[in-house]
Amino acid sequence: MSGTFQTQLMLSRPYLTRGQIKRAQQNTIPDRRLYNQKRLSVFKFLCDMCIQFKFPRKTLETAMYFYQRYYLFNRFESELCYDVATSCLFLSCKQVETMKKIADIASMSLRLRNVLKLTPEVIDNCKKRIVQLELRILETCCFDYRVNNSVHIDEILAKIAKGLSLSREVAHLAWIIAFDALKLEILLMVPQHTTALAALKMACELTKGASWPNIRYSLFESDEPSVSEAYFDLLNFFINAFDLTDFRVNLPEDLRNTGIETFMDLKKQAGVEKGLKEPDNVSSDLSLTSEWNPGIRERRYVLSRKRLNDERLAKSITKREKT
Amino acid sequence: MASSSQFKQLEKLGNGTYATVYKGLNKTTGVYVALKEVKLDSEEGTPSTAVREISLMKELKHENIVRLYDVIHTENKLTLVFEFMDNDLKKYMDSRIVGNTPYGFEMSLVKYFEWQLLQGVAFCHENRILHRDLKPQNLLINNKGQLKLGDFGLARAFGIPVNTFSSEVVTLWYRAPDVLMGSRTYSTSIDIWSCGCILAEMITGRPLFPGTNDEEQLKLIFETMGTPSERTWPGISNLPKYNAQHPQHLPKDLGALLQSQTREKMDLALIDLLYGLLQLNPDRRLSAKQALNHPWFAEYYQ
Repeated sequence: MSGTFQTQLMLSRPYLTRGQIKRAQQNTIPDRRLYNQKRLSVFKFLCDMCIQFKFPRKTLETAMYFYQRYYLFNRFESELCYDVATSCLFLSCKQVETMKKIADIASMSLRLRNVLKLTPEVIDNCKKRIVQLELRILETCCFDYRVNNSVHIDEILAKIAKGLSLSREVAHLAWIIAFDALKLEILLMVPQHTTALAALKMACELTKGASWPNIRYSLFESDEPSVSEAYFDLLNFFINAFDLTDFRVNLPEDLRNTGIETFMDLKKQAGVEKGLKEPDNVSSDLSLTSEWNPGIRERRYVLSRKRLNDERLAKSITKREKT
Repeated sequence: MASSSQFKQLEKLGNGTYATVYKGLNKTTGVYVALKEVKLDSEEGTPSTAVREISLMKELKHENIVRLYDVIHTENKLTLVFEFMDNDLKKYMDSRIVGNTPYGFEMSLVKYFEWQLLQGVAFCHENRILHRDLKPQNLLINNKGQLKLGDFGLARAFGIPVNTFSSEVVTLWYRAPDVLMGSRTYSTSIDIWSCGCILAEMITGRPLFPGTNDEEQLKLIFETMGTPSERTWPGISNLPKYNAQHPQHLPKDLGALLQSQTREKMDLALIDLLYGLLQLNPDRRLSAKQALNHPWFAEYYQ
């Protein structure tokens, strides 16, 4: 590791605001509509993979986080997106310990994409792409796995529902709602337990006789702006793309009449749309605005701002001493 | 933020299953670090052990757990930057062998190391993390007498459900009998058994149950701790590798056995703690918190 090549110190920021996400995507997503369309197809593809391998929902959730995170810092090209998704799933399996051999993942991925001739060479090439992409995915996440490690939306949702003594029906409905959250960029904005709270709130509002308890979100290590961000993101998705939701096809018997109007009513009741506060420096934030520099041969990823500052301080002292 | 490469690579410290470890120097801060270079597997990509180690260690900030500072990625290699420690418990124990005779530590040092080990384990367990591979090689020490848990390659976050854990985890000598009999629902007690084995080894300088395969490992455990039955361990007969034909042994006097291998005086509280950590039935094993509150450690908490 000795030598004098360039190195970059990167601070991990696992969650970003909507404005920050948009700014990063300006460099990577030339056609937003195409990206959104493909994201839903990729989601369906990943669902099919998970069904074939009998993976739990957390594997899918983690893969979708990786997929969306990847395209914040890497240019979106529709031809490659299924390979990226496959690599995300492969990494997700390692992360949540639903291990599968790369050969199995590669073959299944190709089969689901209707690749007719599954020769060993075709599979080998796919494996190589998966491994190459895996490292790029890890980099875009700054090797920071705190986000997908032990808390997953469906599991924490059940625990919170129990903690708040919500009925089984409400919890089940929230579990269905939360599945659609996996298609959304909210995964990149707030932690899983916050999305779970938003899904439970919505489920309470949709269930007759249930009401969302007036709780302090700090009790659940969250806050009002974060829960609102997730709540409105879900609400807008159900209003704008109800036909594309899994919620629509999995509605319980007594909620068969739920439709776009229901969600529009909820939105009216919720009042002015609120969410995470946007920082002032989005347009000048170098980690979002600058494109990937392949000239930098070494990148160091740290979690704490203190460590970053300590090193800067030590550097400036050394510099001063030299002069 | 750009500068020249940050770490100077110094001597090699050792080889792990998925990595090589070097001593390193942070050129800016002058702080020594351990650089763990991960071998990137061309077949299966980044080793899952590295993925787990990074993910779990980044969460754990405790004085008895080795800190992971950064992850460095260069074109073809991944390097984890850890807090530097001078030695590990295995090497330290080996350094005390005179001729062919191993010697245990002074009792005060045994107590201080075991206390720190249990502090680290308790913190992991509070944070819902099982280490699963506690052994002297993975316990790092420095010349201030501090002991820290390292190598979280096999560790995992536990939670619900726990029934899908792999049974191939802990190094044989420190492996709990329930795991050896194929239990897949083990939990924090798996680490506690290892803490008991390590405590005994620090006292005598010899591994307590040095088996070479699963069967011999169980045999050695039962010869000393007694062969368990449905009466002493309800549910044991449901374990996948339970063998009802296992030779019946009565428990030996563990205190006398260990006392015969050390010149240090072993007090009754220590023997009681050993029994608490080395309970065959995992449900009856002490938790790390309970062990820390054991009278043998009274001088630390009074």
